[in-house]
Amino acid sequence: MDERGHERKGMDCDADIGAEHGATEHGVGATRRKLLLGGGLAAATAVVSIRPALANTAASVLNCQIPVPDPAKGSGQMISADGKLVPHGTKGAFPASGRPFSGEEVKAALRGGKSLPGTSYEQNRAYLNYIRRLQNGTSGFTCYASLQMPR
Amino acid sequence: MTGEARQYFRGAPDELLVRPLEGLTLIYHRPSGVTHIVDSPVPEILSQLDAEPCPASTLLARLARQYELEDGEGALDPLVAHLETLCEVGLARAVEPEAKG
Repeated sequence: MDERGHERKGMDCDADIGAEHGATEHGVGATRRKLLLGGGLAAATAVVSIRPALANTAASVLNCQIPVPDPAKGSGQMISADGKLVPHGTKGAFPASGRPFSGEEVKAALRGGKSLPGTSYEQNRAYLNYIRRLQNGTSGFTCYASLQMPR
Repeated sequence: MTGEARQYFRGAPDELLVRPLEGLTLIYHRPSGVTHIVDSPVPEILSQLDAEPCPASTLLARLARQYELEDGEGALDPLVAHLETLCEVGLARAVEPEAKG
């Protein structure tokens, strides 16, 4: 365990999210707050999600496309098992997908129903890991984000 | 493929707008436009997520350093359940570990 590494990360997280909670509510006080992770309630009951009425329709979400990888950023590169872009020829990595996947295909694959079309088991897993790592500004990110289903 | 083996991380910091409200926390997820109303321990768990994927056991250790955990030995399972829920709604993300170590 890298003790210093964790400390640093913790502080980063505080800056990103904790600071916005308000120090008195969720921050670290002089005495450690108690925290109950289980509590006998299902995890789902701790989150209620509200989708805006004006959001894109479900149909357009399912027709959007996610290239694997983004041609602008990953041209000539391969996808590693954990979803990162790696140089061409990297052992154990997979070549780029010949075509982008639709939102519907990705949604089904993320739910574990069926693999992305034309992929092997390991390739499907690598591609899904790539998609899970998509960041804002990368082609396919908005499509991926819109697949998140509120309860 | 258990949840425990998965590695969890968060998206870019500016994806989420977080505001406390009357003991609950509102989280606006900019990319999807969805607002999530969450209760403890969700904000605490989210605050431990980093851009670099890490297993639930590491997140639990971070939480234990910061909070007095009331679950004792049985804290990992509910933590994993929360993380999976957060992944489902897009507030957290997870990657499957590589097949071979």
